[in-house]
Amino acid sequence: MTAVISTNEVCRYFGDEEETMVKAVDRVSIEIERGEFTAIVGPSGSGKTTLLHLIGGLDNPTSGSVELSGTNIAEMSGAILSDFRRDHIGFIFQSYNLIPVFSAEENIEYIMLLQGVEASERKRRVAEMLEQVGLEGLGSRRPNKLSGGQQQRVAIARAMVSHPEIILADEPTANLDSKTGIALLDLMKELNEKHNMTFVFSTHDDKIMTRAGRLIHMMDGEIESDEVK
Amino acid sequence: MLLLKLAFRNIFRQRRRSLLTAISMAGGYILCTFSFSLSEGSYNNAISFFTLDHTGHVQIHKEDYLQRPKIHKTIDDPEQLSEILDSREDIAAHTLRVFAPGIAYSDTDNSPAQIIGVDLERERTTSTLEQKVSSGSYIGSDLDSDGYYSAMIGAGLANSLNIGLGDELILISQGADGSVANDIYIVNGIIGNRDSPDRNTVFLPLVAAQEFLSMYGRVHEVSILLNDEGDSRSEASLLQEELQDLSVAPWQVVESTFYQSMQTDKQGNNFSMGVIVFLVFVGVLNTVLMSVLERTREFGVLKAIGSRPTKIALMITLETGLLASLSVLMGLLISLPLIGWFTAVGFELAQPMDVGGIVMSHMTGEMSFYVFAIPLALIVLFALLISIPTGIRAARISPTEAMRST
Repeated sequence: MTAVISTNEVCRYFGDEEETMVKAVDRVSIEIERGEFTAIVGPSGSGKTTLLHLIGGLDNPTSGSVELSGTNIAEMSGAILSDFRRDHIGFIFQSYNLIPVFSAEENIEYIMLLQGVEASERKRRVAEMLEQVGLEGLGSRRPNKLSGGQQQRVAIARAMVSHPEIILADEPTANLDSKTGIALLDLMKELNEKHNMTFVFSTHDDKIMTRAGRLIHMMDGEIESDEVK
Repeated sequence: MLLLKLAFRNIFRQRRRSLLTAISMAGGYILCTFSFSLSEGSYNNAISFFTLDHTGHVQIHKEDYLQRPKIHKTIDDPEQLSEILDSREDIAAHTLRVFAPGIAYSDTDNSPAQIIGVDLERERTTSTLEQKVSSGSYIGSDLDSDGYYSAMIGAGLANSLNIGLGDELILISQGADGSVANDIYIVNGIIGNRDSPDRNTVFLPLVAAQEFLSMYGRVHEVSILLNDEGDSRSEASLLQEELQDLSVAPWQVVESTFYQSMQTDKQGNNFSMGVIVFLVFVGVLNTVLMSVLERTREFGVLKAIGSRPTKIALMITLETGLLASLSVLMGLLISLPLIGWFTAVGFELAQPMDVGGIVMSHMTGEMSFYVFAIPLALIVLFALLISIPTGIRAARISPTEAMRST
């Protein structure tokens, strides 16, 4: 199988001085294949969120390379990188990060607008996504009129609506109660299997670890173990 | 469209702050339009006063008569010139004049006087001389039964010479041929009051003045009234090309002292307008900066999910432009009737005001497209300019750093 995500000796250091430098990610090399449901786990400060940001092109590596479907995104910047993220990566954040002045529908629609998808097609896909994440009838509500679980469902729909190859989820269940978290994980697992999308989580949630097909343990910026179930 | 919707909704996110900014922009707009209308209205009134009183919109003289008036610098064929001027469609009217300094005598007193010979019929349609007759009547060009021409004199001169209607006026001056000019006239009209600019002037029929000054058939000045005052400079240029041996000047040159003083006053008004606009900008800048700082995390998210940096900057510019446009619209709705009233009715000043050398006691405004459009363009344009660096700042936000912020 072809690796959809490939990092080669990727490093992300903070600070210039040798003594105070923080090695958030240090010489990490991983390969993740299409359709994998992978969890990057580790304690706080182990570097899992930084690694996720490097994979998503939200941060630039100090050294090494990050390739997504064979493209080295560490060499991209500005509008090209924005377009790459828009077309290839979906993000789900711990604190949902929805646009507060947009309704659920508009939050989902926004990314397709950036892609230049036609209005009728946008409308159809928004309705489809709302149905898939179980939010039919709630599309016109703004985020402040939705529960945490419902907001995260909107965030999942937003991440998936443009059919990206990779979904990166940073602690997606951290702000949710256990029951809602399980329901959302089951939803993501179902979507992963249905659409063959690649999911990569950063988490220390046992529920995700149980459901993940692969666990990458990190400690102090380095990979401690890489376990395929 | 969604971007516009996003910008629109963001404006109403912080309703109180947006409202205060909108009030400051609308207030600034109203102040600017009012100040602009006042300044334009005052100057237009002053220009009308000058041009209709005696200057006209364009004047024609011989050589440098305007700068160094001499009795012998005359237009020698005014009738032919009149034919040319009468044939031009953009000229509403014109009149012919001669000038000379002289001494006026009564039985008991004497006083220096400015003697002006006017084409009485043409003067009616070119200047307000007829309306300035405060007692007696607007004179005719004919000799009376005793063989005397009529004269109209300024109220100041009438007072100095202690004469009135029906009295004899003796004038002495120098003729164009070097001879001593002297003659008797009958006062049949008094012009203005003792404070009028014409208070020491003697107005004679043109033919009488030409005879008196030995200037048979010649004149010193042709004053022209155009259909549109705004064409003064261009019309003067066109006439100058046609009348090579004469000197043609628009009112801005003829009344250069007034014109320069008006321009200086205008610069002062522009500076005041600049101060108002600057104060508005400070408010707008504060709002835009606050709005960007508060939404740092949101901009990070927008970038993370694929918004191009230019789109973020465009959104900030759209928000600012929308807020400025709505504010100016609000200001326009208030300033339109206000300036309409100011233009139609105006108000009396408690103290008369000097406008470029003309004392005015009643102020009216000017209602024109520019009065509303220039402040509108200034406020919207500068608000947009302010949004550019702020938008660039938002566009440069690093998604990871932005999402770390609370």
